[in-house]
Order: sequence, then structure tokens, then C-alpha cells
Amino acid sequence: MLNNIIAYRCKKVIRMGDLNEFAVDYAMGKGADYSEARFQGDEGINIMVKNGELQGISVIKDSGIGIRVLVNGGMGFSSTNILTKESVRDAVDVAIKLARSASKLRKEKIEFSEESFHEVKYEVMMKKDFTKLGFEDKLEYLKRIEEDVKATKINVPMRFLSYHDWIEKKIFVNSESARVESIIPRVSIMYNLVVVENGMMEQAPFVEYAFAGGLEHIEKIEPWKKAVEDVSALKNLIEKGVKTPEGKVDVVISPEVAGIAVHESVGHPYESDRIFGREAAQAGESFVKPDMLGERIGSDAVNVIEDPTLPNSWGFYLYDDEGVKARPRYLIKDGMITEFLLNREYAKKLGLNSNAAARAVNYNREPIVRMANTYLAKGDHSFEELIEGIKHGVYVKSFNEWNIDDRRYQQRYIGREAYLIENGELKEPVRKPIIEITTRALWSSVDAVSRELEFHPGTCGKGEPMQGVPVWMGGAHARLRGITLRR
Amino acid sequence: MFEINEKLMNLGKKMGFGDMVIISTLNDRKQVRFANGEITIAKRWLEKKTEIFVEKDKRVVSTEISNYEEKHMEEVMQNLNKLMNSVEKKEDYYGIAEGPFKYGEIEETFDKKILDTDPIEHIEAAINATKLDRVAGVLYIDHPQIYLSTSNSVEAKDEGTGIEISVRAFKDDLASGHSTNSSRVLSKFKPEEAGEKAGEIARMVEDPKLGESGKFDVIFDPMAIGNLLSMMGRFTSAMAVEAGFSFLIGKLEKKVASEDFTFRDIGNLPNGYGTRKFDDEGVPTKSTNIIENGTLKTYLLNTSYAKKYNMENTANSGIIMPTPWNLYVEPGDHEEVEIFDVPRAIYVTNVWYTRFQNYVSGDFSTIPRDGIFLVEHGEIKGAIKNIRISDNMQRLLTGIDAIGKDLRQVHWWEAEIPVFVPYIRVKDVGITRATQ
Repeated sequence: MLNNIIAYRCKKVIRMGDLNEFAVDYAMGKGADYSEARFQGDEGINIMVKNGELQGISVIKDSGIGIRVLVNGGMGFSSTNILTKESVRDAVDVAIKLARSASKLRKEKIEFSEESFHEVKYEVMMKKDFTKLGFEDKLEYLKRIEEDVKATKINVPMRFLSYHDWIEKKIFVNSESARVESIIPRVSIMYNLVVVENGMMEQAPFVEYAFAGGLEHIEKIEPWKKAVEDVSALKNLIEKGVKTPEGKVDVVISPEVAGIAVHESVGHPYESDRIFGREAAQAGESFVKPDMLGERIGSDAVNVIEDPTLPNSWGFYLYDDEGVKARPRYLIKDGMITEFLLNREYAKKLGLNSNAAARAVNYNREPIVRMANTYLAKGDHSFEELIEGIKHGVYVKSFNEWNIDDRRYQQRYIGREAYLIENGELKEPVRKPIIEITTRALWSSVDAVSRELEFHPGTCGKGEPMQGVPVWMGGAHARLRGITLRR
Repeated sequence: MFEINEKLMNLGKKMGFGDMVIISTLNDRKQVRFANGEITIAKRWLEKKTEIFVEKDKRVVSTEISNYEEKHMEEVMQNLNKLMNSVEKKEDYYGIAEGPFKYGEIEETFDKKILDTDPIEHIEAAINATKLDRVAGVLYIDHPQIYLSTSNSVEAKDEGTGIEISVRAFKDDLASGHSTNSSRVLSKFKPEEAGEKAGEIARMVEDPKLGESGKFDVIFDPMAIGNLLSMMGRFTSAMAVEAGFSFLIGKLEKKVASEDFTFRDIGNLPNGYGTRKFDDEGVPTKSTNIIENGTLKTYLLNTSYAKKYNMENTANSGIIMPTPWNLYVEPGDHEEVEIFDVPRAIYVTNVWYTRFQNYVSGDFSTIPRDGIFLVEHGEIKGAIKNIRISDNMQRLLTGIDAIGKDLRQVHWWEAEIPVFVPYIRVKDVGITRATQ
């Protein structure tokens, strides 16, 4: 259902398409070597509930066109939210002037890889269409979290819940005959819950469930049940939590923890714009260098895939924001670095083709190299088999604090819900086990990976101005041998 | 833009809305990004937007429009009215401010010369000042105009300018320095100072050694502590406190920092990048002591939260969430050389990726980046690498033992809210590094 290519029915969008074509043609007529125009219109709603009280509702309705051009090897970008021919013409003039001026301070011309482009339309279908529901029906999901958490009788004095849905419509046109139209509905529920019991406090912050698609996905995953599981686990941790074991132990990380680890220490350092220093003054550079393709970075058990085409994923798209057709990218295969994330600019530098990693969060942002859905590919063990193989260790099921240095080599993940493993069995909860480790040591320590896959949403921040794009992170459970945990 | 506000206000009155806030903005923003010493992209945004907040019997709804056809505006207001009828009451909503208010001019917030200045010249000045080949960064030129109308007799306009640069210079992959410069008037914009400092830090890094875990006195460069305090500024909002995103909950009138530490929000600060004449309800911005000599005196409030807590309005509306304008650390009495004059300390020039294990307890870590140095009796004894500050936010504030005299404005990608801050030294800061 998801990948069906269907025709638009919306007159307004077709009008915007004409403006896109006008922008591209006008830019080429004004001397651009390359031009693209990207319309984006978002419509939706944001609902916030704090400690049981509705805080407000924001109706989202935003649209505009972003223009990007190359002139004499310089790149210019301009956008407008006034959708008239005059305003678009002005934006094109500005972009061309900026590109021309930028070209003067370039040692090397910016060029794009050659790609084959398509004229295509696609839409993600919703079974339970949120545009047909009223505000009250949407609020009901948050109320259910409130009620079910309250029914546990656990003391949760601070509760912040949010519901967010929107339809993202895009039309991309470039001077090389690409025309891509897409409609992607997105829906997310997020909660922050603070449990206070026996004078002690634990927190599950920014827990989110999010999909490209309709409300059927929210109803299937049942965030209200997850919230009950989370507060029960925090209470259990407060009452029965023990210290993290000292010395080297074996560790099993869940798909949630494996997901953040592949996102931070595999996805980000494999972004080609970082590798070439374009993000150096913001999100930083990378320990990975262009000549590291084919180099070993982990054990044979480690395979990491980046796939924008996963049905109903939070990071879903079929064509990127440079009009290139998306496909799965195999970042690590059998422990070896096999592919970087590429847009057209850096694909050209490397003599490769783009693998469709260019994304922009809105019409007023330039497309830059981004992840979509990054995951640790499945292995051949069951979760039980991973645990059975451990005499003394820790299972880290979820995390709160995490960070990594700006070359993506020194990272840390602190468990929220974690358990001791003794002689192949899960035992009492463990308080805040800290994995603080280098990228190479982390992925070299993996000796087995489970068969089941699970995904968790996130908002990946990069770019300037900041572009928070929806991504999934996840994959399989992984067993890490001989890890020195911190307390 | 006031005509648009008026039209929307009249439509809202017809629909029986009570409190209404209409904020129209005209933003003209230019950006030039550079890396490896060359321009990677130049951008310009010309945007016109109107935020609409309406209330009826404690029911609150908001939206934003950029299409000003009369028919569209009417439709938007009708949809808000329809939505309003199904919305529950926000029981802790206590209204917006009663206007009108008088607004004085704030010095150094508008300079026409900024609008005509050549960004490339400033970038070249900054790059040359680093005396290094590999330099990355960004320059912004801003010209925002805000038109505010409320149902409580406020009609106010603010127009400003700004120019700022962020420069990161590399001697090699593991030797970098970063600095910024922000100003609302051209005469005080010093791109070469940012370049000079970034280059100086990068050149100071020689063969960095792996840092050690343990407790260390840390000297924070204004850039490093500015990043942390910018994030902390958000935690001072009453909304963040109630929602469980702040370690300051339940601590009003309690000690949360060293006695030497006074932390303010100043909305009307001359040359502050976040300075505004009025908040989102039209209340004239002012100076508020959030932490005074180590004691938490107030959260940041709008009218509704001020009434809820029976406290003085701090003029930080955000209708839903009060927000800081410019954060400001009261200068101490230490010269820079005195701050560095300790038997042993780590000098941290920049940090990034600050994340919390628990927002309510304040347990967090952040990663020093760019030059990190061991200091002994005021002398740099060598560079270190690969360390993490792993501590608690309140403990960090309590451990402050020296505050510098000279403030610097820190505002960049990692510090979204501008902070005016000096060098600060903190005792016994938790330092960790990778175990393998």
C-alpha cells in the first residue's frame, strides 16, 4: 500500500508545481548552470498536555518554495513563503546573485554528479486518516496515557505529553528534468514522565512513537501501554535497583540502544559532507576519511543499513530532496566500511553516484546529507540465546543520556532500564550503567546479533540553521563481550 | 503589517474571542557559510508571517499564517473558532497583560549600515586573522521587524539589525579552535577578533595527550560556559519547570549556586542579540535576577504564570512557554590571569552535545571540543583530548569559585539564547573518558 504511486487530486499543489517550473526556467534564463525549486506545504496540528491539563493547540499551516542554483561553481539559496510569480522571481534573482558572489571565494567549482531523473508522484496511504478526525479524537490518545498511568497508582507528579500530526506535501523540479511530487502523512506521540517513590525520583524523558502513515500505527503500538511499562519499570528500579557491576562484563544492548549507537557512531561519521569538512563549524567532522572505504571497523557480526524506503518509517522517502531515487545503503557489511551517505556534490567529488541522502526539513532550508532510518541488521540469534550465553553481565534495554564527540569516535550511553544477567538469566534492575567507549571498540566487541528488528523514532539535528529531520534508529539486539561499564 | 493585525483582530472580535495576540513579522536574513577557506553556500530569506493566539473562556488555540488574502484570513479565524468550541479549558490560564505600555528606545539595537555591509569582506577578515588555511564558519546579517497587536490595547513595533560570525580554525584534525562575535551595530562587530582567537587556540594545541578521569578544577572559556548556560536558560522557564524539564523545581528562595553567582535575563540589554522592546504580550522587557548571589529568586514568567505563582511578571512571554531573551552573568572581580592562577586545572575552550540523564536531578554530561589544556599556576602545560565533563548542573553552579570581570556575548549554533558571560572557574568537576 505504502509505495503505491497515485495521482494527485489537489488543484492547489498543481499550481505550486507550475511555480516550481517557472522558477527553474527563469533561473536558467538568468544564467544559472543548474537550478532547482522545491515547494513544501505542511498542514497539521500539535497538542500539548501538561500534568493532565491541555496547554494549547497549534494549527500548523506553512508553505513556500526554496530555490537553489549553481552559478560559476558557487551555490546560492533563497526561499519565499509568498507564493506568487513576482515573489518567486525575486527569490530566484537573489539566489543567482548570491551564487555568483559566492563563486568568487571558491578554489574549486561546486559540481553535481550525473544522475538519471524521473517524473514521478507518490503518496503514503493512511488506513485511519487523521485529517478526517476531530481534535477531541486526537486528544483522546493523550488522555488514555494520562488515565492508564494514573491507574497504576504509581506517583508520577510530572507528566508532559504531546501529539503531533501533519501532511507533508512536496514538489521538486530541477533543470535536469526531474519532477517528484510526494505526499507523506506523519504522526507522533511523545511523553515525559517523572516517577517519585520512596523519596527517590527517576525519569523517562522524550519517549516517542512516530510513523509515516495514519493513526493505525499509533493504535497498533499503543503508547499508553508503553507508558505504563515505563513508569512500572522506573518504580521497580527505585525499589529494587542495584549498582552496576564493576570490571569487565558482557553486555546486551536492545534495539533502542543499538539504534542510537548506529545513528551516532556509524550514520553521522559516514555523512560525506562531514567527511569533507562542510559541517566543521557546526556538527563537526568525522574520524572517517575517504580512503577508509573497505576498512574494518567492527566484527564480522556487524552489518549496518541505512534505508529511507522502509514502509511507514519516520524517516521515509522514495526520492530525496535532490530528486534522486532512494535505496538501502549498506554502511557496514560484515564489519567493513562499505558505503558513505552521499548527495550529488560529494558523490561527484568521490567519482560516484548519489545514494539519495540529500534532505531538507522545509522549503526554507537547503538539502544536506542526512540519515533516514539507520539500523543494526539482524543476525541469527534469538534474544534468549544472547542472554543464555552470558555468565555475568548487564542487559541495557533503554537509555536517557547520550552524546558523542564531534568526530564521532568517543561516545556514551547511560541506561534507564537495565538488568543484571547472571548465568544466562535476567535478574534485578541495574542503576544507570554507563557505556563510555570508542567507536572501534564498541563495534569490535559485538559477537552476536539477534533475529528480531525494532525501530525507535528520533529527530536528528544538523545543519545551520538547524534542520531537525525525522529518523528511525534501531535494528536488532547485540551482545558485546568484555565491556568495562561505569557507574 | 498593522493593517493585517487589525483585520485579524476584527475577525476575532466578531467571533467572540476574549484574549487575542497577533504578532506579524518581516524577516530579512542573509547567511554565508564557509568551510576549508571557501564559501560553501550563500542564502537569503525574506519571510512574512503572522502568529495568531486566541482565547475564549480559558480555551486557547494558536496558529500561524503567511497567506494574506482576505478570504483565507477569514477561513483561518473561522477554523480556529470551530476548533475552540471543541477544546477543553486550560484551567491554569490567567490572561495576558493589560496595555497600553510605553516603550523607550534601546541603544545599539538598530544600525542601517549593517544592511549594506559586504559579508565577504568580514569573512575574509576573520579567515585571515586565524593565520590558518583550514577555516570553517558562518556569517549572518539580520533585519527583523515585529508588529504586535493584542486585544488588551497593545500596538507596538520593534525593528532591529544584527551581524554575527562563528569561526572554527583547524591546524590539523585534532587541533582546532572556535570563537564567535555578535553585534547589533556595525561599529562593534569584530570578525577579526573571532578569527584571531579561533586561530590562537588551534595553534596552542600541540600533540594532545589522552585526558585522565577524576575530579579537576575546570576553567571555562566564555564560549564553553556560555553553551551550558544558554541551555540552562531554558530550564528557568516556568513551563519547563512544571513539565519536568528542569532541576530548579521546588527551589525558589533556595541556594542553587555559589554566592558569587548572579544570573539574569535582560530583555532590554543594549547590543544583545536577543534584545526586544517588548515580550509577546507587549510588556516592556527588563532585567530580572533569576539567581541572585546563589539563591533562586524567580522562574521566567509571562502574565498567566505570574498570576498563577502570585509573583511579579518577568516580561518573558511566550504565551505558552516563557523564554529568555539575553542571559547575563553578573561580572566578578577576577582578572583573566587570576582565574588561571591555580595549582592545577583544565582549561576548556568549547563544549558541545550536552545531554541529561535526568532533567529534574540535573545529572548531565557534555563534551569539550577544540583546544583543551592542562594549566598549572597560570601556565598552559600541554593539550589533552578525549575527555567528557560528567557532573550535575546544580553542583557545577555551586562549585563556581572565580568569576571573571570581562563579559563576552556568546551566541551561535550551540548557544541559541545569547549569553553574556566571563571566564568562570569551577572546583572539582567530574571528568571521564572512554573505558576502552
